[in-house]
Amino acid sequence: MDALAENKVRIPSMAGSSAKLQAVDAGIETGLKGLTPAKITEVISRVLSAETGARLMAYFSACTHCGLCSEACHFYLSMDGDPAWSPMGKVKQTLWEMVKKKGRVSPAFIQRAARIAYTECNLCRRCSLYCPIGIDVAYLLSVVRRICHALGVIPLYLQDTVNSHSATFNQMWVKADEWVDTLQWQEEDARDEIPGLRIPLEKEGAEIMYSVIAPEPKFQAGLLYKAAVIMNTAGVDWTMPARPGWDNSDMAMYSGDFEIMGRLKRLYFETAVRLRVKKIVMCECGHAFRSIYDTGNRWLGWRMPPIETQHAIDFYHELLEKGRIRIAKKFQPLVTLHDPCNMVRGFGLHERARDVVKALCENFVEMTPNREYNYCCTAGGGVINCGPPYKQTRMLGARVKALQMQTAGAKIVIAPCHNCHSGLEDINQHYRLGLHIRYLADILYEVMEKPGAKELSEQEAA
Amino acid sequence: MMSKALIPLAVSAIVFFCLAMSFAQEDHARLDNYVFEKPAMPPALFDHDAHNEKAGIDDCAICHHVIENGKLSEFETSEDRPCVECHGLSPSAENAIALRRAYHLRCKGCHLDRESGPIMCGGCHSRGV
Amino acid sequence: MHELYMIVSGPMMWATCVVFSGGVIYQLGRLLRLLLRKERSLLSYMSLRYSLRSIAHWIIPFGTLNMRRNPLITLVSFSFHICLLIVPVFLTAHVVLWEEAWNISWSCLPGPVADGITLVVPAACIFFAWRRLRRPEVRFVSDPADFMFLVLVALPFLSGFYCCRHWPGYEVVMIVHIVSGQALLVSLPFTRLAHMILVWFTRSYMGSEFGAVRHARDY
Repeated sequence: MDALAENKVRIPSMAGSSAKLQAVDAGIETGLKGLTPAKITEVISRVLSAETGARLMAYFSACTHCGLCSEACHFYLSMDGDPAWSPMGKVKQTLWEMVKKKGRVSPAFIQRAARIAYTECNLCRRCSLYCPIGIDVAYLLSVVRRICHALGVIPLYLQDTVNSHSATFNQMWVKADEWVDTLQWQEEDARDEIPGLRIPLEKEGAEIMYSVIAPEPKFQAGLLYKAAVIMNTAGVDWTMPARPGWDNSDMAMYSGDFEIMGRLKRLYFETAVRLRVKKIVMCECGHAFRSIYDTGNRWLGWRMPPIETQHAIDFYHELLEKGRIRIAKKFQPLVTLHDPCNMVRGFGLHERARDVVKALCENFVEMTPNREYNYCCTAGGGVINCGPPYKQTRMLGARVKALQMQTAGAKIVIAPCHNCHSGLEDINQHYRLGLHIRYLADILYEVMEKPGAKELSEQEAA
Repeated sequence: MMSKALIPLAVSAIVFFCLAMSFAQEDHARLDNYVFEKPAMPPALFDHDAHNEKAGIDDCAICHHVIENGKLSEFETSEDRPCVECHGLSPSAENAIALRRAYHLRCKGCHLDRESGPIMCGGCHSRGV
Repeated sequence: MHELYMIVSGPMMWATCVVFSGGVIYQLGRLLRLLLRKERSLLSYMSLRYSLRSIAHWIIPFGTLNMRRNPLITLVSFSFHICLLIVPVFLTAHVVLWEEAWNISWSCLPGPVADGITLVVPAACIFFAWRRLRRPEVRFVSDPADFMFLVLVALPFLSGFYCCRHWPGYEVVMIVHIVSGQALLVSLPFTRLAHMILVWFTRSYMGSEFGAVRHARDY
């Protein structure tokens, strides 16, 4: 069942030294300087009493310490079964002690707790499928993150993205004019291929608001181009906001800064209301979907998102099913599919993702395990956003993922999620797997019929 | 003459023996449990005379009682009738106390009251001998 | 012995019943109070259908991926829990006590079967203890209390088996049997043995979130 056990090609483990890996992180170091035992106790008690309730009580009272969650975790599997990396093992080293000692823990304990909660758990919820009791370990570790946030002990890179969210309402310090410029630049480029193509900005009353995350305008502008081509070809009545509120990414959700998360999501939903759209369609991003569908909406008091929100996988599925996009010639090379945690364990899009992949690609092979049981990319949950100090650990923790992708046998891995995409690309390079990580949009753009498109010269297409 | 006089005696002896057989197995050390289908435990150890002598029980009606109209009969006793005649195998409208419960309440109940005699399973339902 | 038996089977048994049911009610009340006061919104995600789906998968042997991955643990855990519940309820000696006290009765386990499955419980406890010591991922999350619970659970079954055989001195063991059973019942609501009560809620919640909100399997 597990790729680790089945795999014939061994990728050597470097887990021996991994537990002792100590990253130097200015964010955490600085935060620790301001801590006193009294403050730690006060903050932990406050968060536990004000923000946790029946779930925490039930989880801690009911956990039988059986260890059956361990083998769900890609970190645990990759680190050769070192128990410090198992889901409950991580809880034991963090929240468990905090609760038991009523918050009387040392700054050194907080330092370790922050490292574990922020960088050694992706909150991917795979262990939720393994626990017989039904304990949500990801929830427990996000409580630890909330505590660390309240203590000001947060990895520097992660906090920087939160600061960006706070100041600009996008994740990557994209300035207001840069955003519009980028869209117009992509529109102009795309008009060379499809004359008359538009990226409609601020079109009130459009059917769909298309929203992306800041990495797209920042360094993956090609994805905006491809989205514009797909929207125009399908004849979708769409728009994009020109003002802040266009970015639905949310690292505040992962840093534990729920107040900022709330601000982000409020502006996001209000932007959709301002544009009077019927629904939001979002790019191939997993955590952003979690933020609007599961976490941010709840913080704001919405049981479900106040406006219908559709993930790209589901949107492409709809376009293909309704025949609004037709396939010219299917993609030929063998592909495999990585199920992003937030789209599969978060929204059950696994079958639709397969439908789309099979509609686009002639040759598809599953990686094992798959669907809800897929291994995490080791980048999600804000872990990749904690930056270079933790990359080595992240790569060690991804060994089982590397094996899984290698075993699948396809050179092309489709990952319909930004975080997964970046994470898998890191794994690909670290383990020298020789893979190509693609978005669905990449392939859809490549194989779709584009009526009215000018034939591009080879040079232009490249 | 002698032999003629012995006949009724012999007959009554045989009758008594047969009667006794139907209440107890030949060794009187255990109660007869023939009415129970597939008894879960060995029959209880019980030596009638030795028990009563040791317990100082003279009144037959303590065990062999007769209940009439919900009251313990003052004069009548029931040594001549099998317990199951009143205490059925399961509780009924006429008698709520089923046979097994009657035995347990009677024996164990009395032992507890007097703080004497077996109160745990093996004291009576001995697996030995 | 009579006096001791009277005390443990009388006032102590009543106290056990009161503490046990009081504890269960207290824990349920605490859970409900916390839920209503702090996490009331979670109630809106509860779905009967997906609660039952989740419980069904986790209550049927090999109904989940993790159970299929660990067949030995699945077999031992299921045997353990089934015997743990069946033996005390359907053992002849216990049924007789209910019959004596309350005039209620039900069918009993045949003697040899009861003997056999009584031993399943301590045997499983030994397995669990062995696994707790031997498997690093389990040892890492174990504390001394976890081993104590195994002893606490095994003791009434071992002593009960001893009494059933009427082995020498079983009268004293019987007192141990009753008191250890009472200790088990009393500690149940207040320790992590409370998973017996809480698991229905945690499973239902996980099942509801996964089924009704996340459209995915939680098994």
